[in-house]
Amino acid sequence: MLARPGLPSFDYIRASTAQEVVRLLKEHGEGARLMMGGTDLLVRMRQGDVRPKIVVDVKHLPGMSEILYEEGAGLTIGAAATMNQVAKHPAVRAHYPLLAEAANSVASYQVRNRATVGGNLCNASPCADTTPAILALEGRLVLYGPNGERELPAKEFFLGPGQTALQPGEFLTAMRFPQLPSGSAGKYLKLGRSKAGDLSLVGVAIFGFPDETTSSGYRFRIVLGSVAPVVLRALEAEQVLASQPPGDETFALAAQRAMEAATPIDDVRGSAVYQKAMVRTLTLRGLRDVWEQLAGRKE
Amino acid sequence: MAKHTLDPVGKSVSRVDMYDKVTGAARYADDLQFGPGLYYGRLVRSGYAHALIKRIDASKALQVPGVKAVVTGKDTPIRIGLYLKDRFIFAMDRVRYVGDAVAGVIATSEETAEEAAQLIEVEYEELPAVFDPEEAVQPDAPLIHPDLGDYEVVNFILPEPGTNISEHFKLRKGDPEAAWPKCAAIVEGTFRLPQIQHVPIEPHVAVALWEPSGQVTLWTSSQSPFAQRDLIAQSLGIPHGNLRVVSPYVGGGVGGKAGVSMEACAVVMARAVKGHPVKLRMTREEEFIGTTVRQSLVAHTRIGCDAEGNLLAMETRYYFGGGASNEYGVNIARAAGYSCTGPYYIPNVKGDSYCVYTNLPIGSAMRGFGMPEIHWGIEQIMDQLAEKMGIDPAEFRRRNCVKTGDTILTGMKMPQIDLVACIDKVTKAIDWGKEEKPSAAHKKRGKGIAIMWKAPAMPPNPGSSAIVRFNEDATVNVEIGAQELGQGAFTVAAQVAAQALGVPYEWVRISAPIDTKYSPYEWQTVASRITWSMGNAVKAAAEDARKQILDVVAEHWGEDVENLDIKDGQVISYQSEREQPLEKMVIYGLPSEDFEGWKGGPIIGHGKFMPTYVTNLDPETGQGTRAVVHYTVGAQAVDLEVDTETGEVEMLKIASAYDVGKAINPDLVMTQIEGGAVQGASSAFEALKFDEKGQPLNADLVDYRIMTTVDAPREIHGDIVETPLEDGPWGARGVGEHVMVQTAPAIANAIHDALGIRFNDLPLSAEKIFLALQEQQKD
Amino acid sequence: MTAHSITVTVNGKREYLTIPSHMTLLRMLREKLGLTGTKNGCEAGECGACTVLVDGEPVNSCMMLAVEADNREVTTIEGMTDDEGGLTRLQQAFAEHNAVQCGFCTPGMLASARALLDRNPHPSEGEIREALVGNLCRCTGYLRIIKAVQAAAEKGEA
Repeated sequence: MLARPGLPSFDYIRASTAQEVVRLLKEHGEGARLMMGGTDLLVRMRQGDVRPKIVVDVKHLPGMSEILYEEGAGLTIGAAATMNQVAKHPAVRAHYPLLAEAANSVASYQVRNRATVGGNLCNASPCADTTPAILALEGRLVLYGPNGERELPAKEFFLGPGQTALQPGEFLTAMRFPQLPSGSAGKYLKLGRSKAGDLSLVGVAIFGFPDETTSSGYRFRIVLGSVAPVVLRALEAEQVLASQPPGDETFALAAQRAMEAATPIDDVRGSAVYQKAMVRTLTLRGLRDVWEQLAGRKE
Repeated sequence: MAKHTLDPVGKSVSRVDMYDKVTGAARYADDLQFGPGLYYGRLVRSGYAHALIKRIDASKALQVPGVKAVVTGKDTPIRIGLYLKDRFIFAMDRVRYVGDAVAGVIATSEETAEEAAQLIEVEYEELPAVFDPEEAVQPDAPLIHPDLGDYEVVNFILPEPGTNISEHFKLRKGDPEAAWPKCAAIVEGTFRLPQIQHVPIEPHVAVALWEPSGQVTLWTSSQSPFAQRDLIAQSLGIPHGNLRVVSPYVGGGVGGKAGVSMEACAVVMARAVKGHPVKLRMTREEEFIGTTVRQSLVAHTRIGCDAEGNLLAMETRYYFGGGASNEYGVNIARAAGYSCTGPYYIPNVKGDSYCVYTNLPIGSAMRGFGMPEIHWGIEQIMDQLAEKMGIDPAEFRRRNCVKTGDTILTGMKMPQIDLVACIDKVTKAIDWGKEEKPSAAHKKRGKGIAIMWKAPAMPPNPGSSAIVRFNEDATVNVEIGAQELGQGAFTVAAQVAAQALGVPYEWVRISAPIDTKYSPYEWQTVASRITWSMGNAVKAAAEDARKQILDVVAEHWGEDVENLDIKDGQVISYQSEREQPLEKMVIYGLPSEDFEGWKGGPIIGHGKFMPTYVTNLDPETGQGTRAVVHYTVGAQAVDLEVDTETGEVEMLKIASAYDVGKAINPDLVMTQIEGGAVQGASSAFEALKFDEKGQPLNADLVDYRIMTTVDAPREIHGDIVETPLEDGPWGARGVGEHVMVQTAPAIANAIHDALGIRFNDLPLSAEKIFLALQEQQKD
Repeated sequence: MTAHSITVTVNGKREYLTIPSHMTLLRMLREKLGLTGTKNGCEAGECGACTVLVDGEPVNSCMMLAVEADNREVTTIEGMTDDEGGLTRLQQAFAEHNAVQCGFCTPGMLASARALLDRNPHPSEGEIREALVGNLCRCTGYLRIIKAVQAAAEKGEA
């Protein structure tokens, strides 16, 4: 029940190729765990939630920690890039500020020096702070497995709390983001029990851009963290924003729809009622913020 | 250039421990090195809140390579305790809370001990449990200590055997029944506080060595090396002279390292592997449930005032949820009983304060010792009364607060204090009465005030002692038994010694770590009593040394000792204007003028202090001549902002003022005031949470949040008031705990000012505030 | 249980160590090298008492395996003073502001603060608060720590 002092024993293997990782995963099955920053794995090992025989450090694989941006092609972030690397990267800040903002909201500075975006995704925790941003930006995940590489839209990756679409022997190597529509804007808002440093009780990522195909002239994506078994797109709220003229009334209705989409449960961190209400508050605030950015850009 | 500070009392000299602490050189208990013979211990803890132990099978654990021994309650069928011996070191036949220590494994590494501990099988028979103190006093409640009547108890604590009540303190003054009809306004409320934890950044750690000769040494992070020696020696039958407790720097105490908790387990485990030191340290998770916590409280309080706004009557019942053992906590309920009015003069009082067993972690001392708990309700009722009477809350408090010479609730005359001055300071600092604009349309701003009192809560006669030893170069070693927890006790001891001796502050060294084998006796570093009590002892020791020096020099010079003084490390004569440096003479003495022999010798001064004037109180009325040694009083005012869309509270400013008698080191007083304000503010948002079976839900720092840099107030203001205390060194009294006593109700009063909503139960949380705002909008 | 031979530079000194896979950097520093200035406060990455600099960046040493420190540079509180034990401006500022009470959070706090000043020599109050959010202190109330960092920054050197 209580966490142990120190870590239980295991064998650490520093992998140098993707093939080696696949082989180790196949060989050891559940007995192997991949590690990048370790900020989640080591905690869970102390708590006795997992007890791997081998821990495979994959952050030194070629390209695992790289961040590459190419005009037109978009952004590729290695799965083992740390939160601080992402938050500080000039191209991420310039072209994907929503992602930088989300990465920068995780825990503390020293944790962000270790925690990775890929690890954050693979835990498939509903309260992972970078997941809403990745879904809002319609990121794609690069997976490597026994049959080589495949790419999957991020939204298809999360099957349930702690459950992902990773096949046996498969692991995440990178996240890819398309070039974002011009004039787009984003905002990640998070409510914790302290103003920074906490897990999110509610996380809301909002991404908006001009879109001539909608009747409102804009398209918004709204993604909610911590308020459902998986991180959630608030599609009905997005629909409201696509069909009705931007403004406070529309935003309030969209925020209401986002709240209705949330299905949190009561736990020690907060009640369902409160978390739902906070979805509305944060969504409304986020929409106003993004709209201000969009309107400002238009002028 | 070396600093040379003369007459340091009243000056903000730098801390004696600062260099070690900013360079990592300061050693704490876990930093001590014991070599390859060191063993490690881990505890097996109960998973049930209340159960009988049917069987313990350690056979698998004992087969693990590296395991040296397993101990259980059967090895130590004895109880331990400060005021009431109700605590088994290891559970005997029953466990009383989730986390109760059932067995201990000793092995060659912490890891092996942990692995083996997981292999110990314990069979339980679950019993009904009770968690709420008011439920626990009902006649049909499960009995947690059926043998309470057999337990040894001090004469001023009154348990009620056959119930879960470990202490019932009664206060009867005047005639409340007759007074109620005369009241123009009466406010009544029930107030609840959950258990909270001290969260020192250093978890508990103890290393024990039981030598084959029978000599026992305990290295520990402790506020109470001497009390630990006394209690462990008594319960384990060790001669006091054979038990040595060594305690280096303490990485935060807050009361959690007072008395004995897990240290006794380490000693029992060491007895099983004689000759090998055994280290037992708590993980952070264990720190929350396996050491001690602040007691919970349910308070039913009614207070009334007359048409002029003068308080007339009070009736209150306090039910402290003491957890599974109340060995220390009984005196919290007692302190809450004899101080039950808070810092107010009320002529008619009926108070009942109970300490009650519950099946939760052990409640014990925490900074404030019952006072934060009772002020939470009292200070909100005072605001409500003031509002009913149309009187400004600060003015209402000025009118009704205790003043020097008042006959307070126990019949004792209030020693010199100036609480009105404290109120004046904080109202000025916070621009009381001036309405401030919130920073945004969705925010609301409010100000609140609260005042407090607290007496050192302790037995009537806790002693302090000190030794002052000179070295050849006239540097001075001061030996004390008081502990440095961060509050600055060592620095204050050095200042007091330097001042009383007449030597520069920089000449004084504190003999540390505190070691019961070499350090002179100190009851415990608790109760905000050290500056006052230890201060008096150090001053007496320094004066003793000073007298020895002056006698030698007076004889040597053939002068009257009355004409001599020590200034700047030299004996001077006001008569002959001669000078004699202390260097060398404080060890070697002085030669006769004709070199025919010597006078003097090594100078060692001794000093002690013990209050001798505290009287017992009548068990039916709580009346007596002198209930306590003195009270320290203070006021706080807060300015805050509430986000009405989330319920989040932002602390903008906390202003505090305390009457410390005399600030020996003003900046250190300020560091207490500032740190206490933040800890007090943090406490308003903290709670240990349990499920319906008593299982902890947030026993870690992920879900038990304490204030961080981003939560701390934008501004903290402090003022020092100095109304000298008759028997304090230079008039000083303590302030270490007082600084967080009334912060939570000051915040609640400010939130009420901002929102018009009252919260009777802690913790406050953004969620609770937001949901209350929603309710308010419905109405 | 695999043992690893690693080479790690700690406070400017090269160390050759054999450590088991599951030993954390925190335990390596304290138990293998006797560098007890780095404190164990929670072993969960929450309190920050074990913060050290790895290649100049702060990390919770309880959340990093010792084997990961192979070929890297680690700076602990013991490596912050100069060879004669002289205090840095930051340490001096902590002392002058009485930004220390029990001292248990201080080594980690200094590591985080020093890294902040290295990457941002003139941080705002808000930036200091953000940078230190992972370092818990129960004694001081934080404001003196924040002021000490500001004062060290004003003097232009960490």
